[in-house]
Amino acid sequence: MPSDVAEQPRAGAAPRSRPPVASRARRLGTLAGLVGLCLLLWILTPHFLTTSNLLNVLEQTAINAVIAVGMTFVILSGGIDLSVGSLVALAGVVLATLLHADTPVVVAILSAIAAGALFGSLNGLAITWGRLPPFIATLGMMSVARGCALLFTDGRPVSGFEPAFRALATARVIGIPAPVFLTAAVYLAAQFVLSETRFGRYVYAIGGNEEATRLSGVSIRLHKTAVYAVSGATSALAAVLLTARLNSAQPIAGMMYELDAIAAVVIGGTSLMGGEGTLGGTLIGALIMGVLRNGLNLLGVSSFMQQVVIGLVIVGAVLIDTVLKSRKT
Amino acid sequence: MLAGALLAAGAACNRGAPSDDARPRIALVLKTLNSPFFIEMQRGAVEAANRLQVDLVVQAAEREIDVEKQMQIIENLIQARVSALAVTPSGSREVVPAVGKANQANIPVVIVDTRLDTATAQQAGVKTVSFVGSDNYRGGQLIGEYLVKASGGRARVALLEGIPGHETGDSRVRGFREAIKGSPGITIAASQPANWERDQGFTVFQNMLQANPDLDTVFACNDMMALGAIEAIAAAGRTGKIRVLGFDAVDDARKAIAAGTMEATVAQFPSEMGRIAVETALKAMKGESVPADVTVRIGLVTRENVNE
Repeated sequence: MPSDVAEQPRAGAAPRSRPPVASRARRLGTLAGLVGLCLLLWILTPHFLTTSNLLNVLEQTAINAVIAVGMTFVILSGGIDLSVGSLVALAGVVLATLLHADTPVVVAILSAIAAGALFGSLNGLAITWGRLPPFIATLGMMSVARGCALLFTDGRPVSGFEPAFRALATARVIGIPAPVFLTAAVYLAAQFVLSETRFGRYVYAIGGNEEATRLSGVSIRLHKTAVYAVSGATSALAAVLLTARLNSAQPIAGMMYELDAIAAVVIGGTSLMGGEGTLGGTLIGALIMGVLRNGLNLLGVSSFMQQVVIGLVIVGAVLIDTVLKSRKT
Repeated sequence: MLAGALLAAGAACNRGAPSDDARPRIALVLKTLNSPFFIEMQRGAVEAANRLQVDLVVQAAEREIDVEKQMQIIENLIQARVSALAVTPSGSREVVPAVGKANQANIPVVIVDTRLDTATAQQAGVKTVSFVGSDNYRGGQLIGEYLVKASGGRARVALLEGIPGHETGDSRVRGFREAIKGSPGITIAASQPANWERDQGFTVFQNMLQANPDLDTVFACNDMMALGAIEAIAAAGRTGKIRVLGFDAVDDARKAIAAGTMEATVAQFPSEMGRIAVETALKAMKGESVPADVTVRIGLVTRENVNE
């Protein structure tokens, strides 16, 4: 598991809003929740704790987990990104169209990531230069990007790709599905950025106290714009996984994915106020959502009940956060 | 942590767990459980399962358009070792990889209501044991033939399509266009998707009316969108002046036909689809031979026969 970022010294004058002990306790709590959930499912169904099913859950969690990386950056900086689902669709159709035009796979993927980052940075510009609240700016982008994806494809899915590209979803290395490795790589890289680079420390600082960070000479505009570009880029990476998985890119793909990503981040203990939280927590949050959906399917629980349970988990996780916080102060 | 959810999951488990391990377990994966059509299909499947002493698991994604979640459900049911799968694909191409995984696990798959894309399935080497559904092309033709007769060969038509790329909607549109081909007086002035949904049917048709005030006919590829269009017509104060044609013959559409706000729809029999899907899946699971194509009956519903 990644090291606890909250314990790293912070740049600038941004004060720490809560002692690291609480953050660590909170994350251990999330982990305990995941373990508890797994134990419960192990007792309830013989089909849960099998190698093939656990790999299945990891594979299914990959897409949401990757989107949630960028969402963690955004929420840590004190913002929100509602456009990620639409960016998944847009990057997906860009990727698929390029692949159909016989673009080399690597070039097509890099172009899709660039498109995601570009649209993401437009979010950032609207928020920093336009002084729009992130909720409004990304709500607008949610519609703009969706519309662009539909215009671009005339509403039709773009499907059927060569095996070399599909291998990103279908290949197995030492028995483990490729998307699991890709997700792990994204988390390791993002963790490095968050804990080892100046940019990463500024993300925390901006979310903790934007005014103090600005006064200490950090360019808020630049770093906030970069944060939304990261979110667009991880959405595009998720689009690569999704397109390879379904062998198709749909302009209507990814609807409401923003909610799953926000849920993973929040269950993982990142504060919606910004400034505190960890990527490790987000990964556990995404896994809790994945395990929950998988387990409820294995048990044959009604689809309606599943929505109730998932909603309760999200609210429950934040409730625990609030209770922990009120005890500390 | 998660105490509430664990309790809820535990409680839910009591409802969903199989009662008897010796019984075959068949899963029906629907596009959605938010529409009367699929609820009817579920009812027919449940009745058949009870009669045949089969444990039936019915699952659907939260949103009909979310084909990736449908794929997850199918993968999870494969892990739960169900004996057979019946699937109504949320995407004709996108579900193919999931069916491939069922093939690898030797679980027979019956496709219901919406066909898989033949080319994609062939290319992926994916096999299904049977298709159970209406002839949607013929259904579109029925509506088109009705329009030719009822309008005397003169109409300006708006089409409300389903989700783009869905084989069901595409076939209905093709059948409709084929039937009106011989009538040069019938023109299609506008054609747009409203994604099978009532509220989108309302807004899309409202916009179409703004752009084409001379429209006199709307054919919606399902009744939900047609019902939305009826409300848009009422909002424009033109009730009775625009002919509304739908598809599926859901209860609200039958009521609208009886009330005169809608003219015709095509009756499908989703509960029969559900019943035949379970019967076919059970046979396939036992290794008995099943027909590759089971066409479920359809019929035109108009004011004359709406109360039958």
